[in-house]
Amino acid sequence: MTKIDPITLEVVTEGLISVVREMRATVFRTARSVAIYEARDFSCGLFDARGQVVAQSEDIGAHVVPLPWSVESALEDFGDDLFPGDVILMNDPYRGGTHLNDVTIIYPVFENGELVFFPAVREHWADVGGAVPGSMSGTATEIYQEGMRIPPIKILEKGEINKPLLEVLLSNMRVRDERLGDFNSSLAACKTAERRLNELTSRYSMQVMLDCVDLNLRRSENRMRENINALPNGQYYYEDYMETFGPDGFEPLLLPLNLTITDDEMTADFTGASPQVPAPVNSTLAVTAASVYIALKSTLDPAHALNHGSFRPLHVVAPEKTIVNVGHPAPAGSHGEIRKRVIATMLGALSRASPELVSADIHRTSFHNLIGGIDPASGSEYVHYEWACGGNGGLMEADGPSAMAAIDWGDLTTVQSTEVLENRFPLHVERAQLGIDSGGPGQHRGGFGMRRSLRLTRGTASYSLLSDGAIMPPFGIHGGESGAPVDCYVIKKDGGEHHFSRPGKVGGYPLSEGDTLVLQSAAGGGYGDALSRKTDAVSEDVKNGLVSIGIAEEIYGVQFNDANEVDENKTGEKRAELLASRAKIKVKAVDNDPYVPSGPSKRRGISLNPLDIKTFGLKIDQKIELLDAQGPPLRGWVRSDETVVLGTVCMDTNGMLLLGVEDGKEVQLRPLNIPSVTY
Amino acid sequence: MITLGIDVGGTFTDLVMKDHRTGELRSFKTPTTSPHFAEGILNVIRLTDAEPDEITAITHGMTVATNTALEMNGAIVGVITTKGFRDVLIVGRGNRPNLYDIKTVRPPPLVPRQRILEVDERMTGTGEVHIALKESQVLAACKQFKEMGVEAVALCFLHSYANPAHENKAAELIKSELPDVSISVSSEILPEYREFERFSTTALNAYVGPKVAQYLELLESKLTANSINAPLRIMGSNGGTWSAKDMAREAVNALLSGPAGGVTASVGIAHLLNIPNIITYDMGGTSTDTCLIRNYEYEMTTEGHVGMWPNRAPQIEIKTVGAGGGSVAYLSQGKFLNVGPRSAGAIPGPACYGRGGKEPTVTDANVVLGRLRPDRALGGEIDLDHDAALKAISRLGQELDLTPERTAEGILRLAAARMTASVKEISIMRGLDPRDFTLVAYGGAGPLHAAEIAKELGINKIVIPPMPGEFSAFGLLAADTRYDVSRTKLTPLNDISLEDLQDLLQPLREEMRRRLYRDGFQEKNVQLQAFLDLRYAGQAFELRTEIPDPIQNIDHITTTFQAAYEERYAHRDTAPVEIVSFRVVGVGKSPNIKLPKHASNAIGKPETRLVSFDNAFLKATIHKRAALPIGTSILGPAIIEEEGATTVVPPGFSASLDLFSILTLQLVGSD
Repeated sequence: MTKIDPITLEVVTEGLISVVREMRATVFRTARSVAIYEARDFSCGLFDARGQVVAQSEDIGAHVVPLPWSVESALEDFGDDLFPGDVILMNDPYRGGTHLNDVTIIYPVFENGELVFFPAVREHWADVGGAVPGSMSGTATEIYQEGMRIPPIKILEKGEINKPLLEVLLSNMRVRDERLGDFNSSLAACKTAERRLNELTSRYSMQVMLDCVDLNLRRSENRMRENINALPNGQYYYEDYMETFGPDGFEPLLLPLNLTITDDEMTADFTGASPQVPAPVNSTLAVTAASVYIALKSTLDPAHALNHGSFRPLHVVAPEKTIVNVGHPAPAGSHGEIRKRVIATMLGALSRASPELVSADIHRTSFHNLIGGIDPASGSEYVHYEWACGGNGGLMEADGPSAMAAIDWGDLTTVQSTEVLENRFPLHVERAQLGIDSGGPGQHRGGFGMRRSLRLTRGTASYSLLSDGAIMPPFGIHGGESGAPVDCYVIKKDGGEHHFSRPGKVGGYPLSEGDTLVLQSAAGGGYGDALSRKTDAVSEDVKNGLVSIGIAEEIYGVQFNDANEVDENKTGEKRAELLASRAKIKVKAVDNDPYVPSGPSKRRGISLNPLDIKTFGLKIDQKIELLDAQGPPLRGWVRSDETVVLGTVCMDTNGMLLLGVEDGKEVQLRPLNIPSVTY
Repeated sequence: MITLGIDVGGTFTDLVMKDHRTGELRSFKTPTTSPHFAEGILNVIRLTDAEPDEITAITHGMTVATNTALEMNGAIVGVITTKGFRDVLIVGRGNRPNLYDIKTVRPPPLVPRQRILEVDERMTGTGEVHIALKESQVLAACKQFKEMGVEAVALCFLHSYANPAHENKAAELIKSELPDVSISVSSEILPEYREFERFSTTALNAYVGPKVAQYLELLESKLTANSINAPLRIMGSNGGTWSAKDMAREAVNALLSGPAGGVTASVGIAHLLNIPNIITYDMGGTSTDTCLIRNYEYEMTTEGHVGMWPNRAPQIEIKTVGAGGGSVAYLSQGKFLNVGPRSAGAIPGPACYGRGGKEPTVTDANVVLGRLRPDRALGGEIDLDHDAALKAISRLGQELDLTPERTAEGILRLAAARMTASVKEISIMRGLDPRDFTLVAYGGAGPLHAAEIAKELGINKIVIPPMPGEFSAFGLLAADTRYDVSRTKLTPLNDISLEDLQDLLQPLREEMRRRLYRDGFQEKNVQLQAFLDLRYAGQAFELRTEIPDPIQNIDHITTTFQAAYEERYAHRDTAPVEIVSFRVVGVGKSPNIKLPKHASNAIGKPETRLVSFDNAFLKATIHKRAALPIGTSILGPAIIEEEGATTVVPPGFSASLDLFSILTLQLVGSD
């Protein structure tokens, strides 16, 4: 390697990032579908010959971070068989993709006959065929219903486009011309990149460029290693659930994470995850691994430009044919849900390794709402797509931001304009408000979710929802409490309410003129004990109308005098009283498997002595949380067991790891609280 | 007859004076007297020795509005909004300000939720009353605002662009209840749809308005007290001047008042030199403003932001990058070298200021390389400490294992790479190649870095206008008056007749004429342009399309839009075209300001100094701009000095001065 001076290194790095920015500008300028040039649902990246991310820009993490897995698949198939003018097209989730709508173009760039870079573009194509318009079906049971699956193929070979192949693909997708436009814009972006890369190489020489890339990867790797090294070595654990429904109702699917930190390396092991299911709650290894990475980058090293070096100290284990590494023929449309849940398990596990760097749980779902029909006023078909964001988790320094895109979403706009919507669709927005009391209580509370009410003003329509997090609420950490989950229902024209039997999973519910759809996004979990929240912060929340006086008094323990000022003395007394009334129980280490069956998966039973169940006022199968002052809560379902010693709870190794306690230690026990949200 | 252009910047208050009897143009500079800016203005006027009654016009560029918004010290604002929409101003569009950063939180809102009150009322998108305004709730809100000490009220009702009746009625009620409170009505400030953007612009207006109004009132009274009775005009973000009264009422239009003068002056230079396409490069202490000018016109946008808040008032599309002379160079974890956006500011300032700054800055790099002369840079206000600069740069150099000169050069190269990234991005977004443009560089630090920037952009030709340090003030002298009025009414283009179109535009045209006549313009100096904001049905972004006057037919408008769309987005569509907004721009033409001819002085042999280029100290010739002969070409390495700015001519470039004292740098061997 030649010696690269630090200035050349920075200038070349800036040049490479600039290549990606120009790719983005090209897509933006040439794309033809609204989703691309308005919602900017696309990402660009630059990869080296081994498929490592070299540079990216303001792209969507959910797109670009899983891209290396696609490049890897392409290299598997064509490694020795790539020539100038070849262009690879793919979207196969089973081969390193995300979901079928994310169509990827990978473009090999050569220098003197040698493969040097791969610019790549991943665009969300608005339709890739399949059972429903838009291809994202909440009721898919096989991948075939989700659209055309494209393994890595050469769509251009030595500069010649494979027209018949492209025709076959486009003929199976809705709005053909728009799809062709999507394809062309990706291609144009890669060509821009090729041109700029050639300019850079003629200025700096290929060797200097490659050396700079290598140095960049290495220093990013070192930086991530230093950050991991700063965390205490050890085993950390968190478990969470995806939501499905069987014949007998709610069937949570287990997603456990064993996180091991050994010096400057980290392994995230999802062994024990639920088998894949014939429903859209599965996603791919690429999505899972990328989500682990997004969580780590967002907590340990947010400031630094993204490249592959910082992936290197990270190992992800996700067994095949599970919800986190889906295989043929299960649907793979739920990347937005698996991503959020993997990030949640990472936050849960990291909250013990690095209590101050993480947030509490974030709004748990990408919350895809679709309202479609024919507007009788114009006679034309419409689809309104909403993905209103929710609250973010509380932080060591601050309350969680309300109604804001999560860390995996890049710069996506998530709240749509009422004035635009009402002018375009037969919909009337009655309110677009923060959900009062929705944020998980805590020393720093979770951000508030949104409640939007939309009334159908003309004709009939159908409503679909592909979501998760409608039963299990976002968790708090370090004593913080749960935020409100997703809640969607219909207020019929006559005033009656319709609540869905499978919350979060709705396919084609009929709406009539005058019906109002209520869409409530999930909130964020709380950080720290609500009883230690500053009294003036509680008082401000009350003044701002975000926290009701009842919650301020009963959850935060803050008491007010007749002038609505905080009464510090009474508050002190009330807080002491609330603290004393908390249920405590001793943990007893055992070897038993605590889980009970849940559809094809399992869920955690927490076995208590029947007398304790009575004393604590609990019910069999009620959802509860056990927690220590530090770290995440352990969630489970109450089981009655006479053999359990009074005042104790039996705990397996993973449970002990999650709680971070030793045998005989006392922990808090509380019912899983679902905040009741008002407006 | 004397006219003044006065630009108040963060560090200096600049004045350019035109004596219309002699044609003489002179510039003056005094330190800015923050926060009592009017003092500095009087100080700099005194320097001119002009008799008060000789001054016939003053045009002023100011930063009061911008500073108020950025420093978050504006008025106590109360908002009244439609029931159910209290949180529009709180959550905005739900974007995440910093990607991949879990600790990202929103800055505090302009108006806390407790001062955002809801009333029952609702218009539909077509302007029909859906729920009548409950006036008693407006009165109740006024009562609460009084208790809260509210100083300005923003009225933000849904669909008020379609029918302002409820907002107008509420404004009337507030006026009688709270006579001392300023009122910003969303349908007046920005009668366009998309509630968050309109509400935000209106709330910004309410937030900065009282400060701007107080400032302008004070300034006018001080001028009067000094017997200066010339009308005071304020540069607006839209590149035109406003009457001080209008600006006090719609202060949100002053957020780009500072940089706009330089851009409009650049257009003048472009005309003078017959170069239609230029990129302006205005580099100051903490930030750099750039703007793309095509065919002698700057691009307008309504997509502006102040911090997190959208500002949809029509404004010149200026890209601001957080890098300037004071930008700090430092290493972050993992040995990543950064230049900015952190700035040393005025205090402590760069190390070479000798005010206790220890970190190396861009200015220090220029001192170490010998490009800035220690004893008379920066308007002669500050003596630069070469040793302090060298020490700061050396310290960083040791960590990088580089000589101080290499380090300094690296800082400049890296700063240039960062500063040009956004220029490259906007040009490619428009399908343009920066290499087809000429760079016009000004601002205190612009001429110092222009060649480096041009190299990075692949530009061969650079223009340094006269008085580059006070160029924005010069721009104010020559600026036209300009107002933008608009109205949103969603209408399919095919459904509208020529007559309907004229009927819709007519009130806007009349409003424009009224304003310009009131400002003293005569018909021959009034220019009106009509625009439609058009889009293909179903899209959410509009493209502004000029419509000719008189209009021949609607098809002609469709074709014009399609051509503009294709130029911008590289393809055509077949979807029907829809009108979103109707827009009229009125310009009151000011007399052209002619640049005075260069008084060339024959000079002797120039001085020389060692200046570092590409890691070698070369003997550079040092010139005084005022003493350069016309037409003679100077070969780099050379430094051209003048009051308030220093131009660097690197090896490989030549420089020559023309009749109007305009300096042109050219890459040797290029056209």
